[in-house]
Amino acid sequence: MKKKALNFTVNGRAEAIDVTPRARLLDALRIDLGLTGTKEGCGTGDCGSCTVLLDGNAVNSCMVLALQAEGREITTIEGLGKPGALDPVQQAMVQCGGIQCGFCTPGMALSLKDLFNRVPEPSEEEVRVAISSNLCRCTGYTKIFDAARALHDGTLDTQAANGNDDAIGARMVRTDAVEKVTGSAIYAEDVRLPRMVYGALVRSPLPHANILSIDTSAALNHPDVRAVVTGRDIEMGYYGYELQDQRVFALEKVRYLGEPVAAVAAVTPDAAREAAALVKVEYEELPAVFDPEEAMSEDAPLVHEDPNAYHLDWESERKGNLCYRLEFGDGDVEQGFAESDQVIEGTYHTPEAHSGAIEPHSATAMSDPTGRITIWTTTQKPFAVRSYLAKALKRPISTFKVVPTHIGGGFGGKLFPVVEPYVVLLAERSGLPVQMTLSRDEEMAGAMLLRHPSKVHIKTGVMNDGSLVAHQVRMLFNTGAYGPYGPNTAALGSLMAGGPYRIPNLEITGLVTYTNNVPKGSIRCPSGPQMAFAVETHMDKVSRAVGMDGLSFRLKNAWEDGDATCTGQPLAAVSLKECLQKAADAVEWDKPSPPGAGKGLACNWWVSGTWGTQTLIETNEDATFRLISGCVDMGTGGLTSSVLQMAAAGLGVPADSIQIARGDTDTLPWDHGHGGSRMTFTIARSAYEAALDLKRQLLDEAAARLEAAPDDMVLEDGRIFVRGDPSNAIGLAEICYNRHKKHGGPMVGVSSLLDDQPPTTKAHPIGGFPAPSFCAHAVELAVDETTGEIDLKRYAAVHDVGKAVNPTGCEGQIEGGVAMGLGLAMMEELREVDGKVLNPSFADYLLISAEDMPPTQTILVEQPALEGPMGVKGVGEPPIAPPTGAIANALAAALDVDVTHLPLTPEQVSALIAGRNP
Amino acid sequence: MINDFDFTRPRDVSEALAALAHDGCVVPVAGGTNIMVNLKRAPLDADLVVDLSGVEDLKSISVNDGRVRLGAGVSFARLLDWHPGGAIEGLMHPMCVAFAGPLIRNLATVGGNICDASAAADISPPLLALGATVELQSAAHGRRTLPLAEFFQGVRRTARRPDELLTAIEFPQPADDERWFYYKLGKRKADAISIVSIAITLRLEQGKVEQARIALGAVAPVAMRAPETENLLQGEALDETIINAAAVAAARESRPIDDFRATGAYRRSMVEALVKRGLTEIAQQNT
Repeated sequence: MKKKALNFTVNGRAEAIDVTPRARLLDALRIDLGLTGTKEGCGTGDCGSCTVLLDGNAVNSCMVLALQAEGREITTIEGLGKPGALDPVQQAMVQCGGIQCGFCTPGMALSLKDLFNRVPEPSEEEVRVAISSNLCRCTGYTKIFDAARALHDGTLDTQAANGNDDAIGARMVRTDAVEKVTGSAIYAEDVRLPRMVYGALVRSPLPHANILSIDTSAALNHPDVRAVVTGRDIEMGYYGYELQDQRVFALEKVRYLGEPVAAVAAVTPDAAREAAALVKVEYEELPAVFDPEEAMSEDAPLVHEDPNAYHLDWESERKGNLCYRLEFGDGDVEQGFAESDQVIEGTYHTPEAHSGAIEPHSATAMSDPTGRITIWTTTQKPFAVRSYLAKALKRPISTFKVVPTHIGGGFGGKLFPVVEPYVVLLAERSGLPVQMTLSRDEEMAGAMLLRHPSKVHIKTGVMNDGSLVAHQVRMLFNTGAYGPYGPNTAALGSLMAGGPYRIPNLEITGLVTYTNNVPKGSIRCPSGPQMAFAVETHMDKVSRAVGMDGLSFRLKNAWEDGDATCTGQPLAAVSLKECLQKAADAVEWDKPSPPGAGKGLACNWWVSGTWGTQTLIETNEDATFRLISGCVDMGTGGLTSSVLQMAAAGLGVPADSIQIARGDTDTLPWDHGHGGSRMTFTIARSAYEAALDLKRQLLDEAAARLEAAPDDMVLEDGRIFVRGDPSNAIGLAEICYNRHKKHGGPMVGVSSLLDDQPPTTKAHPIGGFPAPSFCAHAVELAVDETTGEIDLKRYAAVHDVGKAVNPTGCEGQIEGGVAMGLGLAMMEELREVDGKVLNPSFADYLLISAEDMPPTQTILVEQPALEGPMGVKGVGEPPIAPPTGAIANALAAALDVDVTHLPLTPEQVSALIAGRNP
Repeated sequence: MINDFDFTRPRDVSEALAALAHDGCVVPVAGGTNIMVNLKRAPLDADLVVDLSGVEDLKSISVNDGRVRLGAGVSFARLLDWHPGGAIEGLMHPMCVAFAGPLIRNLATVGGNICDASAAADISPPLLALGATVELQSAAHGRRTLPLAEFFQGVRRTARRPDELLTAIEFPQPADDERWFYYKLGKRKADAISIVSIAITLRLEQGKVEQARIALGAVAPVAMRAPETENLLQGEALDETIINAAAVAAARESRPIDDFRATGAYRRSMVEALVKRGLTEIAQQNT
């Protein structure tokens, strides 16, 4: 159908464009007018990231045909305010920390704008309702509520007047906030290249089948098609994480429904999907297995013919569908059970869950005549994208240049290449730039984006005084058809299996099985929420058996300084009891709840990620600085706030004189990437060391010029002088300028932070972690005993962060983590039946909305880690683990039931009520 | 090649009816919030899309001679801002609050929600409980009305002929002493698809049920009235015995299915529980 004229007003400007009748308003804005601040998170009206104002009313621009906007007025984020002249709504979101990854931010700001246009002083309830269609996976909405309050209570002006305080411990505003709140931050799907075409995947319609033939001729004959590629056309290698068992395309057989079999590039996304449907694949269906217990039986269909053929970094028995097995322990559990007053058993199940970033995967690739390939992509690990591609496509790593874009939420779902191999292959075949973006449906049912479902059996021996004697745990994780992250999930889970408790006799078994389900990934705090649910729910069951309340029981058994983890890592700076007590106090633990209501407590420990890194800080000739790290920021803001704060503190200059270099894998130093709660613990520590190194060089240079001892030099207000004699000074700018002129280059501070592995006494694939962090959450909830609905009354999250370099950032991680954890506890469940995902949308896979977020008190504990210099501990992952246990325990208290399954939907709660002993 | 469609934007009802009389597959779109979801997933099977969002005649709400008339193009946001009081507001207001979220409420229309004919459509139970009829118009056959319950014919099937436009919904102004109950059960506080929804209107005459309308959503192929339950209540005093009997009867009348949102058994038990809760609250209401 030919295009039709559309005349409308966009951001106050009359626009006349031609669009096809099927074009959405979202397409007209993003593609025709280049207003890419409007984001597409789902395309089905369920996430709100495409919100615009249509004649002043906030609407989803994906739900409006472009031609329906004829004669109407549209305001996009670009029309709301500009840097330097932000709309008050934008200013409030910036100032209050209401922005993390930034992908939902434009839509969120416009929904708030709509509200404030109608209601100048909205109540908190009105704010919650107004943004309830705008899903945010990062913030837990709490800082956005703060922003809305600040807009009319005057606190915003006070904050703005104070400027951006960059001291350690100050609430410095992250330096990418304005870029994000104005919609100018470029995300992967915003990348546009001349002659760019679009990719689509041909996916398996069956969970397990031999591929008999692939016929691509009809697709190749499609006039709009520019390339088709299958596994038969290319050389493929196996790639993965600890376990390397995946290839880019299924070759001899498909092992899960949705597995890529071929890829197509065409001039429009629609044409690419249409052509993908023309690829004819003939299958011979095979018996499939979906249940992880059944998968381990002798006669189960084999997902992989020989699991031992795949490279695995660790030792493990592998046979049949057993992908990985781990066993370790301490003491003698059987003797421990025999000596115990009581032995309590329970089995706990958690479902498949989704990482849930609002930004879908998208990547664009372009090859040059020399064969080098540039890839723009949304990834937590740009350097790993190179090495995975190198393995998968059997090329040298140097073939690939990866340009990380802003990331619209990672949560572990962007650790692994999902679309990158296909755009690379299609770009090579077509000679054109190729972009591929997963639809929300593909994203929700996509490989490597899902949390492992778990079944955990626990048997615990306890004395009647509450002391734990013996603890036996069998964890079963279903990794699906491929298991790059299966071993790591089980290994991490085994560290959490005993909880943060002193238990002399311990036996832990971790099993990972292959099935014909969608492959699972390594999602924020992998194994954490599953194990916190199992262990913490079970500990409450044990405490009830010995007649103790959850707080006293935990205080009795909790780790203290001088204890050791289950692998024998000695513990220091243990703040667990303080966290527990503060969480309990926050919900008035000793005050009984009314009938039908209850309180619950859960605690946890987690790791601070390291793996070493290298950071550089370079002078510019005007005494501003470049901070160069290969670690991208997945949206938390660690890089654009706490890393800068630490660098500024080390150097003794204002943070706003330090620019974070944005580069790519050609220009930035190698780094592992953003994950494992390592941004502040590792990158910020490293930035501090690099800053000290640079400062020492600057002081040396000044000392030489002033003929004084370096130790006597002081750097203050951009000048270096001899201590006690500020008049005898030399300007930093002068030093820098002369340095650049004389040496033809900058002065460079360098730090290389090594992978800090603490000592352990037990053989374990992971062993231990530096700077363990501790946390406790408490909740009070009420249950509607007719329907099973849960009403969260109040929530408290207490986290030991060692040192809160940026309290706003720490709280943001915690509040967002609480929201995600509450989702896992109460509503998140990907339903996969016979390998098919039944609810691949944000309409049916529910994330916590602004209306569901309980009033949340976030309490920071600062027990400095010994790993210095500030004593910081990681906080990115741990907040999502305890909510599962806390909610289950509060529900058990309210209803006097044993909770064994998540999520606690109204139906699940209703079943608990029905099964309750009368 | 992708089957694309033409597009027209009528300014009034007669232009809209003329467009709907066009040959081929003609698809009316108002708020667009259902069709656009389908369009995202697959090409729309249409020759012509008729955009009703510019037809102002369809957007009015009026009350005349004891009849309430809602234009089919009234949005849920507009409905939420309407404060007629009594049973209408008592049912409509909580329904609108629970209907999707504010972004969708600004687009979606009453007529669109009805014509989509989802069993879980939020508008249906309140309108059924208010005894609504729908008005259809076509260029060829003029105007006809039929009860909403008859408009729904099956899963996503309605009595609307291809050339017909749903122009309005009408229902009698409820009496001042009309009692009501509304509840929507979903998996999330905002923006959740209904697991069960229920709307009741009921009038007592000297302590006996004079008229009861019980409407249920998401527990049958289409939104339904519960006639056996209504008959059972007729002429009875609302005591615990009759309320329990009515709750059991409503559960029996419902025909819920198992899906990934809930099992049929849970839905049925919720019909019983919520009818009981609703009638109990109604019995205690002071009018």
